[in-house]
Amino acid sequence: MIGQPVDRVDGRIKVTGAAPYAADTKVPGVAYGYLVTSTIGKGSVTAMDTAAALASPGVLAVYTPFNPLKLFAYVQEQNDERFPPLQDNEVRFFGQAIGFVVAETWEQARDAAGLVTATYQQQPPATEFPGRTARRFDEVEEVVGTQALGDITFTATYTTPFQHHCAMEPHATVATWNGDHLTVYTVSQGALLVQRRLSETLGIDAAKIHVLSPHVGGGFGGKWGNWAQVPLACAASKALGRPIKAVLTREQVFAMAGHRPTTEQTLTMTCTADGKLTSIVNDGVTSRGLGGNWSESVANWTLTTYASPNIRVTKKIVPLNLGAATVMRAPGEANGSFALESAMDELAEQLGVDPVELRLRNYATLVPNTGKPWSSKHLDECYRIGAEEFGWAERPKGVRATVDGDWLVGTGMATATYGAGRGQASVKVRLHPDGTASVSGTAADLGTGQYTVFAILVADELGIPVSSVRPELGDSTSPAAANAGGSTSTGTNGPAVQVAAKAVQTELITLAVSNPRSPFHGKDPATVVDRDGSISSGGVTMSFGTLLTTCDVGGVEAVGTSPRLVDPEHGYRSFGAHFCEVRVHRLTGEPRVTRWRSVCDAGTIVNAKAARSQIQGAVVMGIGQTLLEATEVDHATGRFANANLASYLVPVHSDIPKIDVRFLNHPDPLVSGLGAKGIGELGIVGVAGAIANAVHHATGVRVRDLPITLDKLL
Amino acid sequence: MRAFDYAAAATVDDALKLARPGSAFLAGGTTLVDLMKLDVLTPDRVIDVNSLPLKGIRLHAGALRIGALERMSDVAAHPVVTAVHPMISRALLLSASWQLRNMASIGGNLLQRTRCDYFRDVTSACNKRRPGSGCPALTGVNRGHAILGTSDSCVATHASDVAVAFVALEAQVVVRGKDGDRTIPLDDFYRLPGSTPERENALAPGELVAEVVVPTLPWARHSTYLKIRDRQSYEFALTSVAAAVDLKRGVVQDVRLAAGGVGTKPWRLRAVEEALKGGVAMERTFADAAESAVDGARPLAHNAFKTSLLKRSIVRALLDAAGVR
Ligand SMILES: Cc1cc2nc3c(=O)[nH]c(=O)nc-3n(C[C@H](O)[C@H](O)[C@H](O)COP(=O)(O)OP(=O)(O)OC[C@H]3O[C@@H](n4cnc5c(N)ncnc54)[C@H](O)[C@@H]3O)c2cc1C
Ligand code: SF4
Repeated sequence: MIGQPVDRVDGRIKVTGAAPYAADTKVPGVAYGYLVTSTIGKGSVTAMDTAAALASPGVLAVYTPFNPLKLFAYVQEQNDERFPPLQDNEVRFFGQAIGFVVAETWEQARDAAGLVTATYQQQPPATEFPGRTARRFDEVEEVVGTQALGDITFTATYTTPFQHHCAMEPHATVATWNGDHLTVYTVSQGALLVQRRLSETLGIDAAKIHVLSPHVGGGFGGKWGNWAQVPLACAASKALGRPIKAVLTREQVFAMAGHRPTTEQTLTMTCTADGKLTSIVNDGVTSRGLGGNWSESVANWTLTTYASPNIRVTKKIVPLNLGAATVMRAPGEANGSFALESAMDELAEQLGVDPVELRLRNYATLVPNTGKPWSSKHLDECYRIGAEEFGWAERPKGVRATVDGDWLVGTGMATATYGAGRGQASVKVRLHPDGTASVSGTAADLGTGQYTVFAILVADELGIPVSSVRPELGDSTSPAAANAGGSTSTGTNGPAVQVAAKAVQTELITLAVSNPRSPFHGKDPATVVDRDGSISSGGVTMSFGTLLTTCDVGGVEAVGTSPRLVDPEHGYRSFGAHFCEVRVHRLTGEPRVTRWRSVCDAGTIVNAKAARSQIQGAVVMGIGQTLLEATEVDHATGRFANANLASYLVPVHSDIPKIDVRFLNHPDPLVSGLGAKGIGELGIVGVAGAIANAVHHATGVRVRDLPITLDKLL
Repeated sequence: MRAFDYAAAATVDDALKLARPGSAFLAGGTTLVDLMKLDVLTPDRVIDVNSLPLKGIRLHAGALRIGALERMSDVAAHPVVTAVHPMISRALLLSASWQLRNMASIGGNLLQRTRCDYFRDVTSACNKRRPGSGCPALTGVNRGHAILGTSDSCVATHASDVAVAFVALEAQVVVRGKDGDRTIPLDDFYRLPGSTPERENALAPGELVAEVVVPTLPWARHSTYLKIRDRQSYEFALTSVAAAVDLKRGVVQDVRLAAGGVGTKPWRLRAVEEALKGGVAMERTFADAAESAVDGARPLAHNAFKTSLLKRSIVRALLDAAGVR
């Protein structure tokens, strides 16, 4: 069953609207919270007038830094806000939460929020990131005399803009208290991340906080952290003795709920005349929003991608008056690979070597920065199969070589790699008298297919249909499984599901031989087999449902734990190769992606269908990253000027060609018995490089600043 | 959004009587309600005009007449429109999305507001929204803004696509007020921002747009509407060009050209038209003529590319409309 294309088990409830998302939660007596946000980019709030808001119909309370809800300092780094909201009057960025209005209806809360006025002591916000301009770069070619004869140097600088996750579901939280027990329905990439944060900031025992996040409408990193609405809804609910629902507006999501930082990378590579890299230096610069702590190690992808005796990466951080920068699908790698994969293409052209060939000449058979062997690596096979199926051999060598009507046609390729590994996870499997099984863990399904992975692995282990398995995720009272981040969900949770499913079978056999009502009572457990959902021994076979019914037992369950993988001897990564075709109009310059093929080496694939969707989704997001997406800052105010989905452009259907995805499906022998590595982020890594390279092949223009918009190609 | 009164008008007279300072007519609501949600428009009375008889699409006395309440999707699909003025249909189909076109009316489309992000954010200054408060787009984020017809007060584009086609085709609008009808060429209906960007057109408060009248032009069947944007669909134009060409033996007899995405109103390109007349329909001719399109253009920090893009779009549209390569 593992590796078959299986429909999502939660597909039907999602398309029929039955799946309960956080904001859908109906709690009797709920009141609504609405955030008031700063309209300056830096300074302090000196006074706030809340009288009109308090007098407005339905208003229950207005909280501000002058009348705050007590929240304790954040301790754990969660890539989100540095400070809990309303605890000080400093303004660090435009759109920072400076008030929270609670009213009987959402409209009343919103209208009253509009009546709150703030007086500021204002300072000019720092929002300019040095280096990033929309200039077109000239090719740089230099031979450095001090190196061995024939050595070639290439250097260039690559820049990327601010980008936003733009998950369809905005950030929503519903909080309700029963005595000193808190129940929170919220968006999250991991229920335990919420529980831990709330325990810190509310100062209550984590055991008294029940977090529910069964369905999440996209996260991409933006729901790893907990943003202002989470603690405020919980604290206000306690203070007012009412359940409270708070949902961020789209602009609030843009301003305060995290973004991909802007980056610059200056890559300098030297190589021998036949293209063997002798050194790679990547000097990376990343922005950090002063709302948070996090910044991107943008140059680090260079450490593990190509073989070279000398590799050096650096990181500089530019703090800016913006909300927290945070993880966004392949943080570091998505931007990092744009630079290195573009540079490899530029170097290949400079040397007159085919880009695939140059990558093979610098193939890292060992982890480049540590010299350790890989757990498994079949990247060469990805290149070979991808090139073959794409028809890479027919690619003209020169640029601007193919014209189809008014369209200049070019092709490009790039490498994808993303870290792998296995954390600790615990999962519970329970068998029910009706013949079904349930499986639970605190894991999250952000639309990734994690529910279905759980169901497939239990079904596979027990030998029952997928439809007989009920996965239950996103509940903090379940055993502690992996949060959805870093592409580790299946690699970490999958083995735990297998352990738990094995353990529950042992429990079942124990019941079978020990329960006096069981037909297997008194048998030697060693003679009892559990197969295809049934127990058999000595010619008698009985399904587990019937056995439980016969024994009058309400169920058997077992918690399985798969430990964290500790292996200092090997390097673990997923690998892949992208090949694409791009067309650019000869007159008006718009670039359009017209063909795509990705080949991935991500170990065992559990669900061929959802895995393909993951890679396709990542390529779609990568096309947006490369051609469309940029959040622009108005430097006078520090506001994201296009903080809405009409002006921040994500791809639409007609921007996306057919995306062919192939998995090599070679199990990784060391990562786990299951052999699965990660796929959630792998697919976006390299996309920008592949497209930039194809644009160059089509037009002869090298764009080193994302997004590659038509104005850079005229 | 602020609380407001709602009234549905049954007749044109009703609608005109219900109108008062601070009221707004509601057609499809895709501009009005959108901007009310953002607090950019705060009418205290909303007058629903959807049951008014400002409907119908017909040929009459040498002109195509389109009622102001006809929906964009119905106009785009109407056989008379596709037969007489395919350019209109094309401009509509390249606008917005199916869902929006099903709701949005032609009258509302002509009166839609600019997409300038500062205009749409009430925390920002904006001379159009709050006269005298300043124009942050001049020095701020202005990649999408206009290069033609701008002033120091405002550089916002007019966002409608179909208005560009209408201006190329010399359409007129019929405006209905308490004192009767006025018929105004659409090109004159729109105003340049000057020092009063808050006044966008010749409509007096409380007046209705009743009808759009487009003269027939037999050779305008050889026409196109070209829309260039970053995203393939569902985006406003960076540049757009409405072009119709009358060719005889490869020579341009007559031509109509207007551009969108570059002007503070739909931008008729008369100088380019003049330069094209009598020329041999070929890329060189088109490119030479297109040069004058940007006379007087005032590019800003992020939209300078539009001068080049506009000229290139004109060439591309003319090649399409003339069917030459
Ligand atoms: C996401 C999005 C994308 C869009 N993309 C495009 C695009 O690509 N191209 C494009 O051209 N347009 C686009 N639009 C704009 C859309 O076409 C307009 O919003 C629509 O045409 C307005 O028509 P309506 O009937 O909904 O007008 P309403 O919203 O009802 O009215 C608009 C304005 O006109 C007034 N009004 C309406 N009818 C009359 C009348 N008969 N007499 C007097 N005043 C009247 C109203 O009071 C209001 O001020 C887009 C809109 C959205 C929301
Ligand atoms: S360009 Fe016009 S609409 Fe935009 S901010 Fe300036 S005045 Fe307002």
